Amino acid sequence: MRRGRYGPAVLLLLTGGAVLRIALFSELYLRYVQVGLRPYLVVSGVVLVLLGVVAAVARRGEDDPDDHGNAPGESHGYDHGDRHGHGHGPRVAWLLTLPALALLLFPPPALGSYSADREAAQRAAQGVGTFRALPAGNPLELTVGEFSSRAVFDSGRSLKGRTVRLTGFVTHGDDGAWYVTRLLVSCCAADASTSKVEIRDADAPVTDTWVTVTGTWVPKGKPGSDAAWPPVLDAGSVRKIAEPSNPYEKR
Amino acid sequence: MDSEHGGRYGGEYGAYGGGVRSVADRLRAAVRAFVYAVVGGVALIAIATVASVLGPTLALDLYTPAVAAWWTVFTAVVVQGVPFLLLGTVVSAAIGAFVPEKVFTRLLPRSQALAVPIAGAAGVVLPGCECASVPVAGSLMRRGVAPAAALAFLLSAPAINPVVLVATSIAFPGQPNMVLGRLMASLATAVVMGWLWARFGREEWLRKPTSANGPSSSSASGWRGFLAGLQHDFLHAGGFLVLGAGAAATFNIVVPRSVLDVFTGSAWLSVLLLAVLAVVLCVCSEADAFVAASLSGFSPTARLAFMVVGPMVDLKLIALQAGTFGRSFAVRFSSVTWVVAVTSSVAVGWWLL
Repeated sequence: MRRGRYGPAVLLLLTGGAVLRIALFSELYLRYVQVGLRPYLVVSGVVLVLLGVVAAVARRGEDDPDDHGNAPGESHGYDHGDRHGHGHGPRVAWLLTLPALALLLFPPPALGSYSADREAAQRAAQGVGTFRALPAGNPLELTVGEFSSRAVFDSGRSLKGRTVRLTGFVTHGDDGAWYVTRLLVSCCAADASTSKVEIRDADAPVTDTWVTVTGTWVPKGKPGSDAAWPPVLDAGSVRKIAEPSNPYEKR
Repeated sequence: MDSEHGGRYGGEYGAYGGGVRSVADRLRAAVRAFVYAVVGGVALIAIATVASVLGPTLALDLYTPAVAAWWTVFTAVVVQGVPFLLLGTVVSAAIGAFVPEKVFTRLLPRSQALAVPIAGAAGVVLPGCECASVPVAGSLMRRGVAPAAALAFLLSAPAINPVVLVATSIAFPGQPNMVLGRLMASLATAVVMGWLWARFGREEWLRKPTSANGPSSSSASGWRGFLAGLQHDFLHAGGFLVLGAGAAATFNIVVPRSVLDVFTGSAWLSVLLLAVLAVVLCVCSEADAFVAASLSGFSPTARLAFMVVGPMVDLKLIALQAGTFGRSFAVRFSSVTWVVAVTSSVAVGWWLL
């Protein structure tokens, strides 16, 4: 029975440590969830670590016969009332070591071309209409999602004549076409959906390379029609970059 | 009496053959320990050698893009759930430790038929996603709330709290009916399920989280009980969250979402399909509105069904419920809830949307 004694403390420290490692000591959490969750993650990590320390101290105290005498009913009820075996903490909780160790030792990579290829590019939710005027800027930084919805659904053609800069990773189509692709995430990576822009007049980098592409929009098809899909960018320049700290765009 | 007997026997043994016996015992124990150490040690060394030789190559072979994506989605669901799970277990441990037993029974009407809708509407007060509501519902039951009422709360809390409704209105700009429809269909499902449980539910299906959930159920109260309960409940529910996340990640990787486009044609099929998708995807209730909004090929009613079913029935929730209330409960309750949720979203959708 001694073996399981520090089990809960270890699990809480591992889980809390893993959460703090990705949310406080690095920006790795952005591979999994959105920016807005960070404060909650940090608070949770701190609370879990504190809980783990308290649990460890409480367990140490149980060794002490005096302490045992102080609260005999409680510690006994704890050991025997628990049906999950081992006496200390539920056994199913050990599953927490899987994600915790993964995050501590080998944080899983951000989703990339594999996930993007498995899903048809997301056709944005809105219908055809006019969009708000684009801000000034030359080149103008746009998200891949913003660019595609304007390219496909804007009857006011606000992109016309503008030089824009998009950031994303490279994916390849069947017919030699290549795309700047970005995954859109609204809460966590489980709900990722794809948006992509076809790049013309530039050599294709290797799949999953992160690039910024500067160029101009090539109008095609009637707004909202299938022919307008996927949007096309005539590339002036393609520059390789490191993976950005937030690999996803907010939907 | 017993202890007296034991003492006397022990004394007798000690008097007759104590010396010989203890030497033999000690020798036997030493031999046993030696054998264990050798066998265990050899096995351990063998495993370690094989793992260190084969491990890296095997790991590289197995670490395909699909596996990498599985790990990412898996950890993402867990990371996303941890803060809400912690919030839920803090609330539930606080209820267990600081709220006197009689408060809830006094607050809620004695008649279950009345208590159910009140508990359902009370779901407004718990801002969080579905991970938080399971432990809270468990602690409500421990505190003497009728299971029917606690279950209505369990279903309504993640669906109708202000955070979720605001997120829905942001995801569907200019469509206040979508928010209203979600509120009404979710509340209706929660109340109907509470009533169904009050009428047809059987005690033996439900493993009441009294004995199973350990310390917070015991007489321990105050800070000591709070900490013990929090620690236990979080670890317990966390384990089941991991289980559910694994299931969600597996479906996410195995079933591509583009398969869905096949079904967008039929109105009825699309409602059923999105209701199944909500179960499989396990999107948290604060984000599912955005996902629903992005499923643009589907009818508004189908998207409403997605948002009504999601916070009430999904894989990680089934795992969490199975852990807290028992498997036989989780299976029955989730399947009936699914049917009721689909029916009420179709009714509300037909009327409002």
